[in-house]
Amino acid sequence: MLDFLLGVAVVAAIYGILAISLNLQAGATGLLNFGLVGFFGIGAYATGISTMHGAPWPLGMAIGLVLAAAAGAAVGRLGRTLAAEYWAIATLALAELLRLVALNTDSLTRGPQGISAVPGFFSGLGPQSRDLAWLGLAALVLALCWWVSQRVTGAQFGRVLRLVREQPDLAASLGHDVVGAKVRVMAISAPMAALAGSLYTHYISFIGPGQLEPFATFLVWTMVVVGGLGNAFGVIAGAAIVQLLFDVTRFIDDVFDIPSENAGGLRILVVGAALLGFLYFRSGGLVPERLRRIDARS
Amino acid sequence: MLAAEGVRKHFGGLAALDGVSLEIREGEIVALVGPNGSGKSTLLNVLSGFLEPDGGSVTYEGRPIHRLEPWDVSQLGLRRTFQLAAQPTRMSLLEVMLAGARLPEGSSAWRSVFRARRVRAEQRAAVERARGLLEELSLLPLEHHAAGMLSGGQQKLLSLGAALMGDPRMLLLDEPTAGVNPTLRRTLAERLRTIRARGTTLLIVEHDMNFVAELCDRVYVLDKGRVIAECAPSELAEDERVVEAYLGSVRPTAARRAPGATAPPPEVRT
Ligand SMILES: Nc1ncnc2c1ncn2[C@@H]1O[C@H](COP(=O)(O)OP(=O)(O)O)[C@@H](O)[C@H]1O
Ligand SMILES: [Mg+2]
Repeated sequence: MLDFLLGVAVVAAIYGILAISLNLQAGATGLLNFGLVGFFGIGAYATGISTMHGAPWPLGMAIGLVLAAAAGAAVGRLGRTLAAEYWAIATLALAELLRLVALNTDSLTRGPQGISAVPGFFSGLGPQSRDLAWLGLAALVLALCWWVSQRVTGAQFGRVLRLVREQPDLAASLGHDVVGAKVRVMAISAPMAALAGSLYTHYISFIGPGQLEPFATFLVWTMVVVGGLGNAFGVIAGAAIVQLLFDVTRFIDDVFDIPSENAGGLRILVVGAALLGFLYFRSGGLVPERLRRIDARS
Repeated sequence: MLAAEGVRKHFGGLAALDGVSLEIREGEIVALVGPNGSGKSTLLNVLSGFLEPDGGSVTYEGRPIHRLEPWDVSQLGLRRTFQLAAQPTRMSLLEVMLAGARLPEGSSAWRSVFRARRVRAEQRAAVERARGLLEELSLLPLEHHAAGMLSGGQQKLLSLGAALMGDPRMLLLDEPTAGVNPTLRRTLAERLRTIRARGTTLLIVEHDMNFVAELCDRVYVLDKGRVIAECAPSELAEDERVVEAYLGSVRPTAARRAPGATAPPPEVRT
């Protein structure tokens, strides 16, 4: 049981990083990114491919971060010509494109079989203390991303993002580069998703195209909506709750004797129900975004 | 200071602006009037970089600006407000005011992460400034409320306040008094005079002829995308074309008024 909870916690912390990334885009700036998994994939595959060729892990991770920042900036730039809805569809399409590339360029990504035996961390430790160490690492990275997110949204830059989210014309009339704001927030948040991808790949020692399915994006969206879009603390809570829910449903098929081929669909159903329920009954999430109170001391 | 030269703007087959030329000199308060749909807001959109004209040019302080992005125009010190001054629902009044300020430290994502103290010092000064302006606009008691929940008139006032936070050299205001109550309207006129005295040039789209007469040095009258008159507010009622296109029939007292007299201005029959 403890092992199970530890594993859930590590993955939840990694998903928490993704939730912080998505929250900077969708929550703070109103950018409906339905291709978040693409940035996760950039980090994951950068780590997988680099380490497969014998590169040290920090190099693989760094390549992923840089590539994701560049890709994020480029995708943000699309917001110049595309209206919000079309931008959302474009992100979905680009992430799918990346998955298809991963699936089909065998020489680079090993195609459908994926890259296995990615070196893990803390390999000197026993299984339980290894997961404990992993939890510490993932939580540390999560805390760092949360801190960056708080700093960025707490200052003038964050106000500009929120104004771009709700009244872009007003933002422009006050001298704020609306496109530039989107580019910058994507360049900051996309590497967070890549970092999550890199960590996840080291944690499970594997990356394949199956992990780049749109469902991963959908899962992070559920976490953010359940936690409270626009509230960094809320979305971390959302990540923990939804991940736990998702993993607990693993046991449903044992308990209720459901054939395992149906169990996967059932888990998706549970996540979808959680998303719908919150959208319907508590659209602000568990910890809704609040007005920021500015006083003379802040 | 700001000049438009033969500005044209079409929407499909409709000529919203059909060769508009005007000039506003430094330190003036100029009104832009005309019937609904005559192109006033479209002209403001062109002057502020929100719309690129199909023809003609706009020069601000000697440089062409009609191809610039709206935020670049704003950064040159030429700011505008909107006829529908919609405000964000999830930002407080104070936040919107601060968004109007120029805060180079806090605007940089990088510096807002790593130089918290300078960011905070910069913000503290802006908060003082913002609260002072909100006080003058009778909005201070609502400073921590959601901006989007304000009444239409209050949203207008807030957008004026936010624009002023950036110390604009010139302001384009689209119907600033619409939805603002009479008492506050008078305060607003005074306030705009103070703004001018401090060196800001103003172009105001306005339907309230009392407000125009009280405040403005000159008036441009727009009809169907063309400038049909340019005169002093007191001369408006004497121009037949203006009366026909915009004012409608005017009370005889106003029409008979001697030139230069400080009699009440014409009233619009609606
Ligand atoms: N974005 C637009 N698309 C199509 N037509 C527009 C657009 N903006 C304005 N118009 C049209 O241009 C004309 C002038 O509008 P506008 O400048 O808003 O008038 P005013 O502000 O003087 O009331 C109107 O007929 C209006 O319907
Ligand atoms: Mg108008």
